[in-house]
Amino acid sequence: GSADQKVKSKLKNPFLKVEDRRCRYRPFYLQLSSFPVVNYSIPRPCSPFDVEKKNAHGQKQIHNKQRNPTNSDREKRPNHVPPKHKRRKGYCECCMKKYDDLHAHVESEQHQAFAKSSQYQVVDDIISKFSCDFLELRENTPKVKRRKCNV
Amino acid sequence: MLSKCWGQWTWPVNIMKDHRLETTLYKIKQLNARLVMEAIHLDEQSPLNAGNSFKKHESNKKGALTDIEKLYQAVPQLANVFRIKGKIGEGTFSSVYLAIGHVRGGREEKVALKHLIPTSHPIRIAAELQCLIIAGGQDNVMGVKYCFRKNDHVVIVMPYLEHESFSDILDSLSFEEARNYMFNLLKALKRIHHFGIVHRDVKPSNFLYNRQLQQFALVDFGLAQGTPETKVELLKVIPSETQQRSSAYNRPPLTVGSQVTSPTSRQLVHQSATKTANKRLSSISQTQIKQGHKRKEDADCHSVQRSVFGEKNFNVRSSAFQARSTVKQPRIMDIPVRKLSVKKKAISVVNNGLGKKAASGTPAHLTCDCYAKDSICSICLSRRQQIAPRAGTPGFRAPEVLTKCPNQTTAIDMWSAGIIFLSLLSGRYPFYKASDDLTALAQIMTIRGSRETIQAAKTFGKSILCSKEIPAQDLKKLCERLRGKTTSFDNSAGDVQMNPSQEFALPIGIGNASDSALQASKKYTQYQKQSTHEDGGKEKKTIQKLPESKGWDRVPNSAYDLLDKLLDLSPATRITAKDALLHPFFRNVKQ
Repeated sequence: GSADQKVKSKLKNPFLKVEDRRCRYRPFYLQLSSFPVVNYSIPRPCSPFDVEKKNAHGQKQIHNKQRNPTNSDREKRPNHVPPKHKRRKGYCECCMKKYDDLHAHVESEQHQAFAKSSQYQVVDDIISKFSCDFLELRENTPKVKRRKCNV
Repeated sequence: MLSKCWGQWTWPVNIMKDHRLETTLYKIKQLNARLVMEAIHLDEQSPLNAGNSFKKHESNKKGALTDIEKLYQAVPQLANVFRIKGKIGEGTFSSVYLAIGHVRGGREEKVALKHLIPTSHPIRIAAELQCLIIAGGQDNVMGVKYCFRKNDHVVIVMPYLEHESFSDILDSLSFEEARNYMFNLLKALKRIHHFGIVHRDVKPSNFLYNRQLQQFALVDFGLAQGTPETKVELLKVIPSETQQRSSAYNRPPLTVGSQVTSPTSRQLVHQSATKTANKRLSSISQTQIKQGHKRKEDADCHSVQRSVFGEKNFNVRSSAFQARSTVKQPRIMDIPVRKLSVKKKAISVVNNGLGKKAASGTPAHLTCDCYAKDSICSICLSRRQQIAPRAGTPGFRAPEVLTKCPNQTTAIDMWSAGIIFLSLLSGRYPFYKASDDLTALAQIMTIRGSRETIQAAKTFGKSILCSKEIPAQDLKKLCERLRGKTTSFDNSAGDVQMNPSQEFALPIGIGNASDSALQASKKYTQYQKQSTHEDGGKEKKTIQKLPESKGWDRVPNSAYDLLDKLLDLSPATRITAKDALLHPFFRNVKQ
């Protein structure tokens, strides 16, 4: 945006606007349909900021995005897809780039080069100080002899 | 590298005199043998209770099994030592498995294997290990037993602790258990803060609780940052003012990172004053970190911003502003980004912060008259976005995090502890429900007051404009009402005495029927049925009686006083973990 022509906009109520007091950065703001209120009528243990939605049967239903399947209702997680089926996007700290598919990125030449590099010395230095208390398993029979867990 | 550094530590001035510190790093064998499992970054839906998660997720079994196979493939050494039983947690940056190994004598031992995402930078991995080694293993902080690596795959072996799901037990906890929970959480925070670690993601799923054993463990240092005088050497190179770990606002929590200000000088420093050269840069940026490498400290700098990448990489200039009647909130870097301050090439020229203001060609002083007004214009929107750490989970973020304050301290963890305490006292979890930072801030204002929030934000350099004035809530009334209780008793002593035969003090501070309240209190032991609603007579309100009040009918005022101090909107005056443990609320706590 060029600053030659100043275009101004009014924020619509209700809103929240945050900016640094020295005006060095871009303000950020939020325009809500309604300001949050503490809802005491929602039963425990739901958040007082939960949104109540009427479902098809006209009954009140707590819209709870963070529903825990271990809760009493034992609902299946609707959005749960095993990770192998979903493309995990993210940022690779090693290659310093974003990726759209974790698996594909990790297999890429660039990442593999990093994976096999000496960059991990800092981790190995720490590992070398550990002692391993675990025994080697041999066909599920514990050998009564200590071994180094190391590579 | 580490052993050399350790002997040379100089303790900061805020060291607890009563606390003897180890100056030897490798106390692994002395790690508390408590069995603890780590469940990282699980959104609240994830089953954390390994005991029955397998049955529950029959449909998942196939996926989980292949995950186990993949893990064995990625780190073949594991197969020599462990039988991996199943996946017990999954987060943005790692997956956690339950495994069984054998120790001397053939005794079986359960462990938690934390498999880190292979895109994690080695320095981040090493820093997490250092946190576990240095701070872990006592005072309810998770320790580490071992670590495996093959190429970019790293697996951290930790003790395993079967633990409850917070939401499952919240309803049934007694007041005394809640008090004990808070005491133990603060103990863990005191310890990590003592070592200059800011956890950044304090929440119930990162604080394992075994109710039966009354054991606790603070887990997951995957987002941790160091204070300027941190004892965790590698946290010094975890970056400042850069987006490190963030993910879109979906269920896995967001993560970002940056520099924190010293907890000793709890005063927040304006960002511009904190930009100095990172003397460690040139050495860190080389491929090898030399053993015994020590950072030269800037004697005159108490809060050194360790900006490593040029700011221009992070303070993003806005795209062209389009004037519309309805302005949508701009996307604020909601792409998963987690940047480490590690450069591939050695930097020969030390960046001393000059010229940074004009980053990315943005004119340095673009003024407009929108400041503190209900408008925005092409000028203010053309400024670059301020980047500050945002790592953590929305509902647990302190106001200074939500408003992008660049200098964040250990106080952000104390706020999160306050949110947990709020859940315990109100019986609501999660307490806040917000998908973005400003919605979370609006919800905080609803509880703590808009004027109060605005006032506090000024102290850390932020202007908040709110179209609506919202009064602050009385924490006691709020919690009691949310808990479903309208009676109130004041233990004016501020002390907790769980003696059922104790005489009730007269209720104060409640402008309603103290008579019926008092009557209800005298009857409370007789109530047998849960959720029996009884007309209070003169009152429209219902009084909920529980079969056993479990002490919730006599929450002392000191509880709400501590809550008020944990949820202090101003990080500079917010109570520290050390002081919180000395608060009257914890008088006579069993230790």
